[in-house]
Amino acid sequence: MTAVQDRPRVAPRLHRARTRWAWGLGALAVVAWSLAGAGAFAGDVVNPAGTGQFGRFAAAALSPALDGPFLRVLADSVLVTVAYAALGAALAVLLGAVGAVAVARTTWGRRRLGWTLSRGALAVPRGLHEAVWGLLLVNLLGLDPWVGVLAIGVPYGAVTAKVFADLLDEVPRSGYSALLAAGAGRTTAALYGLLPPASGGLLSYSFYRLECAVRSAVVLGLIGAGGLGYQLLLSFSSLRWEQVWSCVYALALLCLLADVGGRAVRRRVAAPRSSGDRLRRDPALSAAVLGTLAGVVWSWWYLAISPATLVSDRTGEQLRYVLAAAWPPDVDRPLLSAVASAAVDTVQMSVIAIAVATVGAVLLAGVAARPARASAGRRLAGSVVRLALLLLRAVPPPVWALVLLFVLLPGILPGALALGVYTLGVLGRLAAEATEELDPRPRAALTALGAGPVGGWLYGVLPAATGPLLAFALYRWEVAIRDTVLVGLLGAGGLGALLASRVAAFDWGAVTTVLVALVLLTAAVDLVSARARSALRS
Amino acid sequence: MALVGPSGAGKSTLLGLVNGSVLPTAGSVQVLGEEVAALRGRAQQQLRARVGTVHQHLELVGQLRVVHNVNAGRLSSWPAWRAAWSLVRPQGLPEVLAALDRVGLADRVFERTERLSGGQRQRVALARLLVQQPELVLADEPASALDPVLAERALGLLAGLATERGGALIASLHDPALALRHCTRVVGLVEGRVVLDAPAAALTVGDLADFYGAPR
Repeated sequence: MTAVQDRPRVAPRLHRARTRWAWGLGALAVVAWSLAGAGAFAGDVVNPAGTGQFGRFAAAALSPALDGPFLRVLADSVLVTVAYAALGAALAVLLGAVGAVAVARTTWGRRRLGWTLSRGALAVPRGLHEAVWGLLLVNLLGLDPWVGVLAIGVPYGAVTAKVFADLLDEVPRSGYSALLAAGAGRTTAALYGLLPPASGGLLSYSFYRLECAVRSAVVLGLIGAGGLGYQLLLSFSSLRWEQVWSCVYALALLCLLADVGGRAVRRRVAAPRSSGDRLRRDPALSAAVLGTLAGVVWSWWYLAISPATLVSDRTGEQLRYVLAAAWPPDVDRPLLSAVASAAVDTVQMSVIAIAVATVGAVLLAGVAARPARASAGRRLAGSVVRLALLLLRAVPPPVWALVLLFVLLPGILPGALALGVYTLGVLGRLAAEATEELDPRPRAALTALGAGPVGGWLYGVLPAATGPLLAFALYRWEVAIRDTVLVGLLGAGGLGALLASRVAAFDWGAVTTVLVALVLLTAAVDLVSARARSALRS
Repeated sequence: MALVGPSGAGKSTLLGLVNGSVLPTAGSVQVLGEEVAALRGRAQQQLRARVGTVHQHLELVGQLRVVHNVNAGRLSSWPAWRAAWSLVRPQGLPEVLAALDRVGLADRVFERTERLSGGQRQRVALARLLVQQPELVLADEPASALDPVLAERALGLLAGLATERGGALIASLHDPALALRHCTRVVGLVEGRVVLDAPAAALTVGDLADFYGAPR
């Protein structure tokens, strides 16, 4: 090492990562622009008159309605919600399995054009929120149970098809190629060489979809599809706060059970297995699969669904009428400018939501994390915060929006904050888990050489935690832009509100325009988020 | 001083007791004339700043640039605002460059640490020690991830650093030859007890090899 000392010392220049700085400053500018657009700096966002009503609402939290007749109604709504979720998820898995074959790289081989087109076709059903599907289907089918089932099944089916295809494409090719080389047909080869290795992932993802379907079924109720969400809305609009709280508790419990149950099943699937057929021998897993199948059959009976509705003359007529009225899309100037300003509102809402959630998650991550060697007090604090986060994400964003409207003036801010609160529930948990998984040694080394708590955090924790947390936040932004539409449908503004008003006016040409704008906007957000995440990784 | 012994003998625990990252359950530890476990707050930080530790380059933060990982050696003397500002505009660059120059890495000062090889990261950890300027240097298997030539250099540098400040080096080592070449005193541990304490001159490579081969 003495040899290098003779070399003239020329300090290399510090090259800042320009792309990352550009992304960072751009993100700050967008957040400031969104807050300004939502009127956060303009004053007059709080509605002082609503605090009394809010007080009465909050007080009712401790005395939920528990009388016999209401509990019976509540139980009924819970069952309807569960039935929608089960049938919707079953339909999604069915559509996903068929669709996966249609979009898998394995099917298309080297024919890239066909593969790209089939993938692109999936983007349309995926870009529309379940609630949007629900709104459109209500107008086609009337108040029929199929609305709820299809509204969950169609968009979920598209996502499931994409994920299933990715799972199949990711399976190592050697077994499949060997079977092809041995003379098996492509179908047989896929059945023996691709499906078995992917089966764990497929099963696990199916259960994850069921878990999400429960949350979606609640949300669909809010737009009138029946079930728990519908009951909540009825109680809310008749100002029966005690009943509202019963509904909130019931749906929080339901989402919680779905969350816990789904995760337990997925953990069992992911647990290392000694051989391929171990899956069939896990009794809990078999019970979960059989139970779910039985649940689907029961749901069919309980909702009294009949395939006749789908093929009836009335449905066909209505479909033909709507399709004819919906094309060509409406492109007159007033509508286009309304769509543009609604799109801006939607983007601003989602940006505020993510900013609020990210800042909250960073602040809470330290408290919510429960490292292995933490003291009892710290673990207790961690558990309390985790429970609070769980409640935040168990209640769907539209319900948060209704609550916030007590104290905030209507506009896009309540909707944005409602989404932010909900997303905080999700991001907070992810941030806490990321903090727990961090390598503790760099920070321990800094403490050992005398660094203070702030210095140790700045140099030992922050650099390692920033990347994963921002990646999560960007991913949740893609989810949030879809949920913004949902909050909008219920009146918080943006594209969702515009869509709801056009549908209510049976202005189908304008509906098509708004839907196109929606799909383009979600695709654009996905693209920006993906770019930002790759800039983060480089 | 070389610390030798089979895996699980308590070498890392002993080093942890000295730098204060492990607290004694009984008894007391005196380092540089101070009671380690009794100190709190600023006094504790000041003592820790006088004791430098290298692990197997595991203490570095991969996402930070090399300059920040080296500067981390000065966190004990920097106020929080200066530590934060340094992440934006690197502070004390001349000292960092001088330290990196001594380990032959001056041209990588603004590289992200995770892009360096294992041996280079080891040298970044040494540069952090050079900037920290401790009186007592602790090294937990500093040579295990390095090829023989690099291991030789690393130990030479550590020993040089310790004597330069009039202090001492305590290194846990697996290679008997290295231990005898760079250390003046060898302490052997088995199951947490000292079973050997002799000047290096009185030992042969064979003695130490036997010691590893026969856990009592």
